[in-house]
Amino acid sequence: MAELIFQTKDVVKTYRTGGTEVRALDGVSLDLFAAELTVLLGPSGSGKSTLLNILGGLDHVTSGLVRFRNLDLSSLNDRALTRYRRDHVGFVFQFYNLVPSLTARENVQMVTDIAPDPMRPEEALELVGMGHRIDHFPAELSGGEQQRVAIARAIAKRPEVLLCDEPTGALDSKTGAHVLEAIREINDTLGATAVIITHNAAIRQMAHRVIRFQDGNISAVETNATRLSPAEIEW
Amino acid sequence: MVGAMHALDIKLLRDFKRLWSQSLAIALVLGCGVMILLTAFGMHRALDDTLTAFYERNAFADIWATADKAPRALVKDIAQMDGVQGVEARIEKYLVLDLPARTKAATGLALSLPESGDLPRLNVPLVRSGRLPDPLASDEVMISEPFAQANGFKIGDRFSALLSGRKRTLVITGTALSPEYVYAIGPGSIMPDDENFGILWLPAPMLSAAFDMAGAFNAVALSLSRDAKPDTVMSAVEALLDPYGGTGAIERDRQNSHAFVSTEIEQLKNMAMILPPIFFGISAFLVNMVIGRIIALERSEIGLLKALGYSDVHIAGHYVLLAALTAVIGIAVGWGVGGFLARAMAAQYAIYFKFPYLIFNVSYDAYAISGFLALLTAAFGALRSALSAARLAPAIAMSPPAPPRFKRSLFDRALGALHPSQPTMMIWRAIIRWPMRAAMSVLGLSLAVAVLISAGFLSGAMDTIVDVAFEQSNREDAVLMFSTERPLSVLEEVRNLPGVLEVEGELMTPVTLRNGHREKALSIVTRGTGATLARAVHRNGRAIDPQGAGLQITTRVAQVLHLVAGDTVEVEFLTGHKETHSLIVSGVVDQFFGLGAYMSREAMARLSRAGQQVSVANVTLDPAHATAFNEKLKTTPAIAGTVRVTDMRTGFQGTIDESISVMNGLFIVVAVLITIGLTYNGARIQLSERARELASLRILGFSRGEVSYILVGETMLLAAAAQPVGWAIGIWISSAMVNSFTSDLYSIPLVLSPATFAQASLIVLAAALGSVLLVRRRIDRLDLVAVMKTRE
Repeated sequence: MAELIFQTKDVVKTYRTGGTEVRALDGVSLDLFAAELTVLLGPSGSGKSTLLNILGGLDHVTSGLVRFRNLDLSSLNDRALTRYRRDHVGFVFQFYNLVPSLTARENVQMVTDIAPDPMRPEEALELVGMGHRIDHFPAELSGGEQQRVAIARAIAKRPEVLLCDEPTGALDSKTGAHVLEAIREINDTLGATAVIITHNAAIRQMAHRVIRFQDGNISAVETNATRLSPAEIEW
Repeated sequence: MVGAMHALDIKLLRDFKRLWSQSLAIALVLGCGVMILLTAFGMHRALDDTLTAFYERNAFADIWATADKAPRALVKDIAQMDGVQGVEARIEKYLVLDLPARTKAATGLALSLPESGDLPRLNVPLVRSGRLPDPLASDEVMISEPFAQANGFKIGDRFSALLSGRKRTLVITGTALSPEYVYAIGPGSIMPDDENFGILWLPAPMLSAAFDMAGAFNAVALSLSRDAKPDTVMSAVEALLDPYGGTGAIERDRQNSHAFVSTEIEQLKNMAMILPPIFFGISAFLVNMVIGRIIALERSEIGLLKALGYSDVHIAGHYVLLAALTAVIGIAVGWGVGGFLARAMAAQYAIYFKFPYLIFNVSYDAYAISGFLALLTAAFGALRSALSAARLAPAIAMSPPAPPRFKRSLFDRALGALHPSQPTMMIWRAIIRWPMRAAMSVLGLSLAVAVLISAGFLSGAMDTIVDVAFEQSNREDAVLMFSTERPLSVLEEVRNLPGVLEVEGELMTPVTLRNGHREKALSIVTRGTGATLARAVHRNGRAIDPQGAGLQITTRVAQVLHLVAGDTVEVEFLTGHKETHSLIVSGVVDQFFGLGAYMSREAMARLSRAGQQVSVANVTLDPAHATAFNEKLKTTPAIAGTVRVTDMRTGFQGTIDESISVMNGLFIVVAVLITIGLTYNGARIQLSERARELASLRILGFSRGEVSYILVGETMLLAAAAQPVGWAIGIWISSAMVNSFTSDLYSIPLVLSPATFAQASLIVLAAALGSVLLVRRRIDRLDLVAVMKTRE
């Protein structure tokens, strides 16, 4: 049995927007395991991003339990959450969020400077196939290249967890496949637990498990007997 | 539709409300400019109007001339000269006064009143209380109001005066103010001392009897008609008085009180010219920065507005109006504070100068001009961004802007070699990417530093003046003035006065110095070789001891007459044999007060053929015998007046300290407002531009402190860079002030101590840090999730 990385129990998250209360998560209980690649599927507002933010230490639960290994995330203060993100979590976003004033290498270095046991920035960029564009500024890179730099930045700290929110959302299918290759590579070689949010149902075929969200809760969990490589997926 | 307000106007008001703190920071800077403009103009106008009115109503003269003893009959001759409108002759004498319940003697300037018992026709004293003395009374006096107030005199009070060696008790019948003594400086003093110096109006018979001046006068004042030629009249009067010991005629510009007052009033105008442009310039930059940022943020809204059919004029006007709203707040603040300050400070000045009243006319033109300038500033600041917004094509505007392009430069390689942290790299790259903005911020902050340095410079300069004037040049405790020149042997008698420790003599000889068509009237000061109590001291602290037959002159005299050491100067003596001699300028002395020339006692004795003489004795006193000394002085006929150098020192220091601390306070407020305006807005914009970046860093695991470093670091780096620039500008402004303040009355030295620079820098750096920390709190409130989800 693989090691348990995340455990959530009856997680509820409510937001107050204007006068109305929105229940983004409505009692989610879920276990995620080491080296597992999970895809979260579901329509907008189904709660998958909220869960990802909570797992990444960006947001607090309203009630319920969230554990990372033996760490109770729901009880951590801001400073401890910063520490948690710094030491354990890698993020990949739809809009890359690279610092425009830093080159590819420097963007990655930003993380390696503060992580406890990082790889070299060049190594991380090689891993995502960006070894040849190391001294370019974001404005000099294509969208796919920028996203791969963002992934390099996320994995350079050798994170135990890689959280990806619509990583291919802004990319065409060919570039998207490259990016997914990179994520899968990290998952395989570094053994990082990867969670990918997507609207693209085809991507589910590369996952170990697929978790479907509906109205703030899990509606179905599927396990793939055979996984496809990103190149084999048809979008 | 509710009301008549357009949607665009509603947006305008909401935007303005949302931007209130940034707008306020700009409005305060702009308001400062408006306020100073209004205050300086308002004060200037009030004081100028008041002075003009006082002069007109009380027939302030145009020309003054003095003589030893001229017959009254000359008055008719003077009155018949071309261009002369009015003439008033009188007897003027300095008297030693013995005031009740005071040990120290005071000095009075006695002016004779017409024998008719009427007020004089020129330089009419404005009676403030009581009445004129009876023309036939031998014991009545009217005194100047400030002298009465400073000594607590009431009508009917008595004090004693030495009239030609005889002590007389005088009864106060009234108090008055005179246009001639708005700024009343006693003989040998450098500033008004109302307790120790007063003006006395006495019946003419009393004075002429006491000083043997029956049917004679020793001072005359003239008023001229509009078309008169002052120079011609002065020459004629001088020629007429010459046989009677005439010592020359002067115009208003050399009348002591008028020269001081008009210089002060002129300086107010200069203030109105120098400071406000700085504030307006900085405001325009701030508006430009803020509106530019707002337009960047509202790109897609602008695209939408254009797609909906709003015209370029609509859109540009929208953003210019947003800036104008800020200006309106600034104008309101500036008008409110400035209007109040102008009146309050003019009233303060009116008390400082002895004005009987204050004419304060609200100068609507100053309000209009300052308001217009403020609006213009804001509009000008917003214009460039507003036009660029108007020019955006709708389709382009609605798509997100291209990311800012950073390129590797030589500087990057140099920076890279230093291996700075990534946040440090981000700070540097942002500065290099927007060099104009960084440069303008540096320039603005450096002006704040410069403003503080120029304020600090004044206090340092005053300290130096006090040190040189009192600690080094004038070390005597008191100056005794003789009524006429005395032989050197008189010093022995002074030495025998009770309590006198040291005595040194000094001779003042009135002359006119000429070099070609340039001329200057002043007194040559003659002292014994190696004098230690009063001496001419060079700025560098070296004492000057004139040697040989040459003349030492002060820098100011050298400048005015275009002389350098080694030149020949023509010296016309106004007393004694009234000869003219050519003398060599043996050196130039750099001094702070007035015009001066120095000569050795031997050389002066040779030239005047009158032997070695003194007109003044400088003494140091044993404090234990001060009372005996003072009592003796009050009954010594040969002494016409005394100056307490010790009192003068205290008074000077007090006045300076007071005005310097007020000014320092004002300048600190000004500098802090400039700094806040710049750094607060700068940091807000930086935060807005970098919100996404900073949030990314937070998500990547950077702590609040580390992320704040980028924000605070950039601001403080610019603030630090502004320091040397500010120091340089401060030195430049200070030397410009030295030049503008230098007059025949005094000059100020350029003294800048390390403490001045340090204080200026500390204040600006602290204000910058405070403002950026205010903005820093917003980093704590960054919505990490929201920032990640949306493209700008």
